[in-house]
Amino acid sequence: MLMPAPDKTTLSRRGEICTALKAMLPAGCVIDDDATMRAYDADGLSSYRQMPLVVVLPETTEQVAEVLRWCRDNDVKVVPRGAGTSLSGGALPLADGVLLALGKFNQITDVDFENRCVVTQPGVTNLGITHAVQDEGFYYAPDPSSQIACSIGGNIAENSGGVHCLKYGLTTNNVLGIEMVTMDGDILRLGGKHLDAGNLDVLGVMTGSEGLLGVVTEVTVRILRKPATQRAILVGFDSAQEAGQAVSNVIAAGIIPAGMEMMDNPAINAAEDFVQAGYPREAAALLIVELDGPEVEVDYLLERVGEVMERSGSSSLRVSQSEAERNQFWAGRKSAFPAVGRISPDYLCMDGTIPRKALPEMLTRMSAMSQKFGLRVANVFHAGDGNLHPLILFDANVEGELHRAEEFGAEILRNCVALGGVLTGEHGVGVEKRDLMGEMFTEEDMKQQQRVKCAFDPGHLLNPGKVFPLLHRCAELGRLHVHHGKLPHPDLPRF
Amino acid sequence: MTFLPEDHEALEEFMSQAVSDKTSLHVAGTGTKEKLGDRVTADASLSLGRLSGIVDYQPEELIIVAKPGTRMDEINAALAEKNQMLAFEPANLASLYGAEHAGSVGGIVAANLSGPRRISAGAARDYLLGFTAVSGRGTSFTSGSRVMKNVTGYDLSKLICGSMGTLAVMSELTLKVLPRPETSTTLSVKCAALAQAQKALSAAFKSATEPSGGAITHARSGALSLGDEPAAAHVRLEGVAQSVTDRISTLSDILAGFGEVSVLEQDASEAFWQDVRDIAMLDETAEQVWKLSVAPSVVSDVINMITAQTSIRFFCDWAGGLVMLSGAGDGLNQIVRSAVEAHGGGHASLLRAPDTMRAAISSFHPQPAALAGLHDRIRDSFDPLHLLNPGKMGPALT
Repeated sequence: MLMPAPDKTTLSRRGEICTALKAMLPAGCVIDDDATMRAYDADGLSSYRQMPLVVVLPETTEQVAEVLRWCRDNDVKVVPRGAGTSLSGGALPLADGVLLALGKFNQITDVDFENRCVVTQPGVTNLGITHAVQDEGFYYAPDPSSQIACSIGGNIAENSGGVHCLKYGLTTNNVLGIEMVTMDGDILRLGGKHLDAGNLDVLGVMTGSEGLLGVVTEVTVRILRKPATQRAILVGFDSAQEAGQAVSNVIAAGIIPAGMEMMDNPAINAAEDFVQAGYPREAAALLIVELDGPEVEVDYLLERVGEVMERSGSSSLRVSQSEAERNQFWAGRKSAFPAVGRISPDYLCMDGTIPRKALPEMLTRMSAMSQKFGLRVANVFHAGDGNLHPLILFDANVEGELHRAEEFGAEILRNCVALGGVLTGEHGVGVEKRDLMGEMFTEEDMKQQQRVKCAFDPGHLLNPGKVFPLLHRCAELGRLHVHHGKLPHPDLPRF
Repeated sequence: MTFLPEDHEALEEFMSQAVSDKTSLHVAGTGTKEKLGDRVTADASLSLGRLSGIVDYQPEELIIVAKPGTRMDEINAALAEKNQMLAFEPANLASLYGAEHAGSVGGIVAANLSGPRRISAGAARDYLLGFTAVSGRGTSFTSGSRVMKNVTGYDLSKLICGSMGTLAVMSELTLKVLPRPETSTTLSVKCAALAQAQKALSAAFKSATEPSGGAITHARSGALSLGDEPAAAHVRLEGVAQSVTDRISTLSDILAGFGEVSVLEQDASEAFWQDVRDIAMLDETAEQVWKLSVAPSVVSDVINMITAQTSIRFFCDWAGGLVMLSGAGDGLNQIVRSAVEAHGGGHASLLRAPDTMRAAISSFHPQPAALAGLHDRIRDSFDPLHLLNPGKMGPALT
């Protein structure tokens, strides 16, 4: 993975840039010593590391605006960072870029039960929002697995999902408003405690824009009343294909469970070794289906889902009888990544989505690819919404294995697109899947996206090198009548 | 001259020619909501009425793919056959605009029109998974996908929803669909005052009874207010029968604290929410119809501030956060917009008014300068020559 070559002029001006930033920010808000900056040299995609030019930790929206305006005026790149848990390298620093970390924006400013929303600074963790409202029986629905650490600002950048977005939606369906700062230093308020933009939905395009369009400095999210009852069913299958079909059958029966997860045999056994969740070790695939709502509704749906599972050829079925047992069912699924980490020195976690009905076909292809690349794979899926998380096992100390694992991952994603799906369901494109964008989008599709980028940041200063494989100059993108497929600047670097 | 393309290729060719000739276009689906938004002045017309038909409907994948000119009645009929629906409950504004039918699916998406279930299930913008379109540059592009969970690239679906045909002309769109709820019941409670009704809704939505609609009617809401009571709150419960029965009992107890509770069963419940959805509770002959979106908790203050200055009819939806009102007079614009701004913000949009008034004031709530500038630049990024529905969302700043 190549990042754009650092700008030598910027590197040579480092001292001057640090001095200017220190002059505009309070003491302790600029970090320029290597030892402290080291903590910021990677995000959750830790196979990529890069020391930033300098780290700034502003404390107010006005300071963020001042930093951005100064960087724009001085042609300095900026990489925004929340908690740094991105799995796609969205917050990977640039050698010639200021790393703008929102860690000091860590206060919840307004808990409003009357309007069922919370106003918070972006550095507050996802789970922190739920903690602030749970005593009144409320919660914030999107639940990415990193929710204990990931920030709500980062959730907006990535449009984060989670186990329960089958029923409750992604971040974009749960955000009511933001305050943001553009690269020009303009402070904009989008949405709020009311619904809909009433004009162009800029909030909608900001959500999931991976830090390329603006820096979020305040967030308003809707909160939901915690369901009265939550119960989970653990269903084993003798073949992964049957399990995949069962997932489609549940949806076809008109039931939208709160979550519907799937694990294949290697993932089942890794999890079982790790936390003893009581999973059927012999099963080829396991489904965890969670139902929530009023007790009578959950009881009724449990019965119906049970019928569907039986009809679909299930080999075992257990319904959680207590909250402890429900948590135990989930413990295995939630520890799948570290569990796999125990049986392999390294793993790559992929994140494609496919149409639900293509699950059986995808699993067949996955086995073939595993053989072809000579690498093991453990599969955990958000099966209800077709979101796959294959974990490719490899050993980085074995010459060529990382490369082979990356090739394997790319082939999985190409297959996702070929089956009618997409490159990423919730982790984002970042640097990880940047060079695969052409598998899903035509040159013109990507150009239109980049033209939108130019409306926010014509200098390409905010988080460059992420999401798009080819950096077009905005002036060139603005031109009309560009012939299809013909790149007007063959000399521009591809990276 | 009206151009009626029948497929994507014809649309692209026409648009490409329009770009070369700098022909500005009045873009419409089937033209039923012509009077929504600001007035368009253009060289030619582009109608999508023949770019029509359901391309692919996969009930088990919860998606429907359709061409933009497909009529809503066709979409709704296809979904009903499989016991599914567009969960955002798009309105049928035929009677508001004097049209013959509910319009096209492209028009619903372009206007981001959502009904009562907006409060629980989301808006049109939450259900557009992807689309193919021709931009104001005459070039075709695709955004999004046909799967539920996708974060690949910018979510341009959000920009297209509510852009009133000013960014690009869609040729195909994919919407997420959901199972229809088995049953629908509405509990209504008579309240002494508007503020009480708002508090009743708040209590309902704070409970674990999962309401899918929350409306307020008033003595000034037309035929559907309850007796002589000044206000009534209405809460809809939907889902499987056992669950609804159970929740009715819980919710009745909660609402009983506010006044006398009555129940609308299935058909009556559906009819009531259809009237809310289709804005059928206002003065049909009124000069102006406005739609206000505010925080639910301030709704009675907003309405009291308006009624202190002028006479209106109104009702509320979205747990109180949506106010639909009818009234008259040149000053109404100023009155409703300042009422919204005085109560924490939101927006007030003009849904229907005489042409002279639409020419004088924008249907869209004024934006701060920095945001308006960004809107213009976004619009330019799709349509640099301002060929698509020029003026529909107000004059460009540049």
